[in-house]
Amino acid sequence: MSKLRYAMVIDVRRCIGCHACSVACKSENSVPPGVWRSWVKQGEKGRYPNASVSFLPTLCNNCENPICIRNCPTQATYQREDGIVMVDPHRCIGCKYCIASCPYDVRYLHPIKKIVQKCSWCYHRVDVGLEPACVNSCPTRAMTFGNLNDPNSEVAKLLARNAVAVLKPEKNTQPHLFYIGADEALIRATGASEEVRA
Amino acid sequence: MNDEMTIVYNVAHEAPLGPLIAVYFYMTGLSAGSFILSTLAYGFGIKRFKPLGKIGVVLATVLLVLAPINLIADLGQPWRFWHLFPYLNPTSPITYGSFLLTLYPVNCLIYAFFMFKGDDRMTKLFGLIGIPLAVSVHGYTGFIMALAKARALWNTALMPVLFLVSAMVSGIALMILVVTVVGFLSKQRRPDPTLIRDLGRILVGAILLDLFLVFSDVLVLLTSDSEAAEAATTILRGAFSQYFLGVEILSGSLVPLLLLTAPTALLARFATAFAPPILGATLVYVGAVPMLPLGLPVMAASFIPLLVQGIPQRHRPLPAAVAASVLVMAGILAMRYVVVIGGQYAPLS
Repeated sequence: MSKLRYAMVIDVRRCIGCHACSVACKSENSVPPGVWRSWVKQGEKGRYPNASVSFLPTLCNNCENPICIRNCPTQATYQREDGIVMVDPHRCIGCKYCIASCPYDVRYLHPIKKIVQKCSWCYHRVDVGLEPACVNSCPTRAMTFGNLNDPNSEVAKLLARNAVAVLKPEKNTQPHLFYIGADEALIRATGASEEVRA
Repeated sequence: MNDEMTIVYNVAHEAPLGPLIAVYFYMTGLSAGSFILSTLAYGFGIKRFKPLGKIGVVLATVLLVLAPINLIADLGQPWRFWHLFPYLNPTSPITYGSFLLTLYPVNCLIYAFFMFKGDDRMTKLFGLIGIPLAVSVHGYTGFIMALAKARALWNTALMPVLFLVSAMVSGIALMILVVTVVGFLSKQRRPDPTLIRDLGRILVGAILLDLFLVFSDVLVLLTSDSEAAEAATTILRGAFSQYFLGVEILSGSLVPLLLLTAPTALLARFATAFAPPILGATLVYVGAVPMLPLGLPVMAASFIPLLVQGIPQRHRPLPAAVAASVLVMAGILAMRYVVVIGGQYAPLS
C-alpha cells in the first residue's frame, strides 16, 4: 500500500447550508472574529418557480503543489508527509506573501498574533484518530475525510464512484479538496454582498 | 458578480499587501534608476553625464537604505525579520530580495567611497559591479508580483521588465529635478541646460518604451481569460481607472511627452491661450471632486503654461522638463499603487 495522503470530499448535494462546519471550525481552532478558516459560500439563481440555492463549503485545499509553500520566504509554511499544509507559528514573520499568492483566499493574518493562519484539516485531531471538526459537525455527512491512497477509505470510494471537481485546476496547485455536485456558476461567481464584506 | 448567480453569503479576507509595499517598490525603482544614471559617466565613460555621478550614487544609497524600512514595518512580526536569512527558502522571490537588499547598498557605499575619493579605476569597477545588482534589486520586485500567481494583473512575464523600465522612467525624472535644484544652488546659479536637455531626451525614450509595455500588457489581459479581463476592466473602467488612465497614462506619460518634445514656441503660444481657462477649470474640478490623487497632478500640469510664459526664451526647456519630471514621478507612484493595490481588487473566493 502506498503512503498516507489525506484528502477531503464534499458532496455539495447533501449540504443544507447550516454553517455548522464554520462554527465548529471557529470553536475548535479559536479563530478570531473577522477571519475564517472555513465558511459556506452561498448563492441563488433562477426565478420562481425555477430557482435554486446552492452552497460551496470553502476551506484550504491542502494542495499537492502549493504556491504558498513555494513563495514563503522563511519556510514557515511547509507540507507534512500526509499532505497537510502547515504554518509554523514561531517561524512566520507575517509578510503576507502567502496570502497574496494563494488563489483561494483561505489564509488570513491573525488580528492579534500577527502571523498567518489557515485551515490545517485539524491535524491535531487527525493525529489522534479523530475527524476534522468540520467533518465531525456536518449533520448531513456532506463532508468526508480520509486517506486518498487507501482504496477502502470513504474518500477513495467517493472519488472512484463520482464525478468530482476541484477549484481553479488551471492554477496547477493540484487541490486535494474535491467537490461532488458543485455548481460551476457558484464556483465562478466571486465577491460578497455589501453587508458580508463589512 | 455575474447575472445567473447571486451571492448571498461569502467571506473575503483583507487584501494582504498595502500601500507600504507600493512605496517600497517605488523607492527601489528610483534607487536603481539613479544608480544606472550615475554609472553613465563613471562606469561607461560618457563625460557629459559626469555631474550625475555623485548625485546619482547619493540618491541610490539613501533611497535603498530607506526602502526596506517599509518592508519591515509592513511585517506582522517585524522583530522576526532576521528569519529571512537562517530559514531562507530558495524558491521564494522574497529570498532573492533579502540578499540583494543587503549587497546592493554595500556596493553603493563602496562605489560612492571611491567616487568621492577620486579613484576613477575603482569607481568604474564598483559601478559596473553595481549595474547587475541595481537591475536585480528592482527586477526581483517584479518577480514578487509575477510569481504570486493568484492575481491576474501580476502573473505576467512582462512584470519584471515593466518594473525595470518604469524604474528608469522615474529615476531619470528624479535626476532632472535634483540636477535642477543642485544647479540653482551651485556657483553658476543655474542648471546646465544641455544636461537637462539630454536627460529629457533619455526620458522621452524611456516613457515611450514604458507606454509600449503597458499597452502590450493591457491588450493581452483584455484578450486572455476571465480573471485577466476583470483585472483589465478594473484599471480601465473600474475603481482604479482614475489612477491608471488619469495619473499614470495621461498626466504621467502623455503630458510629459508633449512637454518634452513640443517646440518651446508652441508651448508658449499654448500657454498664452489656454493657461487661464485650464487653471480655472482645474480649481473648479479639484474643488468639486475631492479626488486629490487625480486633482494634484492635473493642477500641477495646469501651472506649466504659466511657468513657460514667465521664463525668457532661452531658458524655456527647463520649466517644461521640471514640470514633466514632477508629473512623471507622480505617474510612476500611481503605477506602483495600481499594480499592488489594484491587483488585489478582484475577490478570489
